[in-house]
Amino acid sequence: MSATLPKPFAPESRLFLEHILGQIPERQDPYTTLRQQARAQLAELGIPTPREEDWKYSDLSPLLAHEFRLAVAADPALDAVTLEPWLWPETSHSRAVFVNGYFAPQLSDLSGLPTALQVIPLAQAPGELLQTLAKTDVFTALNTAHLGDGIQIGLQPSQEVPLPLHLLFITVAPEGEAVLAQPRCLLSLQAHSSLTLIEDHVSLGSGIPFGNAVTEIALAEGSRLHHVILQRQGSSAFHINKTAVRQSRDSHYRLQAIQWGSRFSRHNLEITQAGAQAHTQLQGLTLLKGSQHSDTHSRLVHQAPHGSSRQLHKCIVGEAAHAVFSGRILVSREAQLTDAAQTNRNLLLGPKARVDTQPQLEIFADNVKCAHGATVSQLEAEEIFYLQSRGIPQAEARQLLTCAFAAEVLQGIPLTQLLALAARQLAGIP
Amino acid sequence: MSTSVRALVNQPYKYGFVTDIPSESIGKGLNEEVIRQIWAKKGEPDFMLEFRLRAYRQWLKMSEPTWPNVSYPPIDYQNIVYYSAPKVKEKKKSLDEVDPVLLETFEKLGIPLSEQKRLANVAVDAIFDSVSVATTFREKLAKEGVIFCSMSEALREYPELVRKYLGSVVPIADNYYAALNSAVFSDGSFVYVPKGVRCPMELSTYFRINNGESGQFERTLIIADEGSYVSYLEGCTAPMFDTNQLHAAVVELIALDNAEIKYSTVQNWYAGDENGKGGIYNFVTKRGLCQGANSKISWTQVETGSAITWKYPSCVLVGENSVGEFYSVALTNNYQQADTGTKMIHVGRNTRSKIISKGISAGHSKNSYRGLVKIGPKAEGARNFSQCDSMLIGDQCSANTFPYIEVQNNTAKVEHEASTSKIGEEQLFYFQSRGIGMEDAVSMIISGFCREVFNQLPMEFAVEADRLLSLKLEGSVG
Repeated sequence: MSATLPKPFAPESRLFLEHILGQIPERQDPYTTLRQQARAQLAELGIPTPREEDWKYSDLSPLLAHEFRLAVAADPALDAVTLEPWLWPETSHSRAVFVNGYFAPQLSDLSGLPTALQVIPLAQAPGELLQTLAKTDVFTALNTAHLGDGIQIGLQPSQEVPLPLHLLFITVAPEGEAVLAQPRCLLSLQAHSSLTLIEDHVSLGSGIPFGNAVTEIALAEGSRLHHVILQRQGSSAFHINKTAVRQSRDSHYRLQAIQWGSRFSRHNLEITQAGAQAHTQLQGLTLLKGSQHSDTHSRLVHQAPHGSSRQLHKCIVGEAAHAVFSGRILVSREAQLTDAAQTNRNLLLGPKARVDTQPQLEIFADNVKCAHGATVSQLEAEEIFYLQSRGIPQAEARQLLTCAFAAEVLQGIPLTQLLALAARQLAGIP
Repeated sequence: MSTSVRALVNQPYKYGFVTDIPSESIGKGLNEEVIRQIWAKKGEPDFMLEFRLRAYRQWLKMSEPTWPNVSYPPIDYQNIVYYSAPKVKEKKKSLDEVDPVLLETFEKLGIPLSEQKRLANVAVDAIFDSVSVATTFREKLAKEGVIFCSMSEALREYPELVRKYLGSVVPIADNYYAALNSAVFSDGSFVYVPKGVRCPMELSTYFRINNGESGQFERTLIIADEGSYVSYLEGCTAPMFDTNQLHAAVVELIALDNAEIKYSTVQNWYAGDENGKGGIYNFVTKRGLCQGANSKISWTQVETGSAITWKYPSCVLVGENSVGEFYSVALTNNYQQADTGTKMIHVGRNTRSKIISKGISAGHSKNSYRGLVKIGPKAEGARNFSQCDSMLIGDQCSANTFPYIEVQNNTAKVEHEASTSKIGEEQLFYFQSRGIGMEDAVSMIISGFCREVFNQLPMEFAVEADRLLSLKLEGSVG
């Protein structure tokens, strides 16, 4: 590139960031330096516009129209009854609840977990960031500038946790209010340990919640993480989520990201295979209707030899919704014998539905096997006809085919009620 | 294994000679005065001056694109000669009057222009630096009503036709290089195929850059009227210079109802030496408009030359049931960089497009496919299939795929697939065990890899393309 142009920032960007930064209380704690560094980074960053390549299809200007109140402590008014609809029976004794980004001990129950698994609020035990973040972006820096609470999870070597750990992040936005919550989660699995983690984002209240979550994950040699992300915030919510993973030798990372909430959501996924022979499996399912907008940007870097990865991202887009997928697989020179495959499949149900997809390969090693594919279509008329010829009414046939399309991604999630919940969500897409 | 394969792909460029011929050029640099001079020298109609100046003023306001995956030092646009022509008084009626040095040059390039030797059934427009020196078979074509001449002649003889279509597919402010081209273009080919005529022979243009300081800015305009068919070929070479030359061309195709245009390119500009010194910057805008119902535009390209290629032959599918196709082989070696692909813009109903792209990278080169498939909200029943395969030879090069798929109509069906592989040791072993040498084996594997694209080339060019690839691969196995 012959010249580097200044990045195009929205004009309101400065005001928006200053407004939020102004609400962060000044105090001395183990995170003071990190917060100051993030503030310094933010001085050079701004809210991106669609003129920036990474945000080409996602316009953040609706976000800038709101003045967000930064949640600075957990909302004490919540009780277990209000929470009920969001809980899973499988995790009744292995859940940590966060209200507006702050750990809520009275709502959490960690009694079913072994002592080898440490789940400690960041406010209580000063932790270190895991250095998994590949690049600084404005929303991650904003999250760090507010660092103070969140959760730190550590699992001792060779330990396997039988129960899935449920992290429930609730943003409470009362009527007429716009509330920003910035949860932070640091997870580190030591050698040969294994865990299932359910990261669950929900919202309460009829206001405008904005969740800006960051999860950093470090997987030591031979460890295995099954990571489920559920994003089921209210229809007025904004949601921006960063997942950064660093994999060591022989580690195994599986992600199932299921989302149907929020009017605007963006998932930034950064995975680095730093050690040899690591395996990554990424599965995503996005269900959209109305005028929802959802954007998944993943970046998977193969840095070491003999790594493998499988990515499958599916979108079902109804009415006038807009789904975006950008998946980049980068194979660096050292990563010989990499085997990477990526598939993106989109089902367009609504006449005004829109899909933009960019499956990308960047390959610097010659002895590799890499492939990607993308499809966009509606339901096959022949398939519907086949089911109709067997006596299944058209509406039901469509429902059946759509559910089957989604089911592939939902398989293997240890929450029995999720499939029914997703089916109900699908039925709501006209 | 990889060392011998690497040796195979490092071949000298055999078109690198310079023709010593007096030339007439306008001094370096670009300003409104230079544009007026070009306009005056070429004796163009008045509307062209306005067209050129408008483009120049737009260009001044624009900036070079930085998004392609290529890197090069900044270009000094004031250090380029924008007009250079071999010193001949005026275009000759007959080839006998063309400077024999020029004829010899083209002969050496394998493009015989003299009557006896010329390729049977291919009409050639030979362009040397900025101007057309000869066009063959004009009378025979004229009998069918086909106009095939240089752009300068077209501007003199058919100004209304040119005025109607010039800039209608690639607007002057389309992009930085297109704007520059619109301001300074010197010559190019013009083709008009009248209603219902199937062009009796292949039309072809051969481009040659000779002057080390000049840029080449040609402009091609092809119009296929209702129900007509034309197949057009383009070839290019340049001498070896240590400096980089800029080639910024614009090609516009227009297909009306039921018309079909087939456009093939074998691009073999000088690619620079093995250390990446010298070579052509090939920044080209090519776009076809399928304006009429059932029209079809098909691009086939074999890209082997140029230090940097930045080229996206596109189809705008407006007419109902219109079809766009793109077949490409891009071979990069040494320090070559290619960022190439296509754009298929589906506007009309039941439009279809197909993309087949094969990238081969060797040495320290960088080869990127960048493509856009866009289905507009009104493109009911649109259909696209894309396939992009890459092959890497050696571990110092890179192969990238950047497809953009934008779908705004739910009745559309879009499929994209891409893969990356290398020449497997097992494949080579198999060939060798059957008594086929390494060199032939590599050549056959690559030939097979590119088959789908070569099949699309007209016969004469398919032979040339095959020869070109094997030439690049021919070499020194023990």
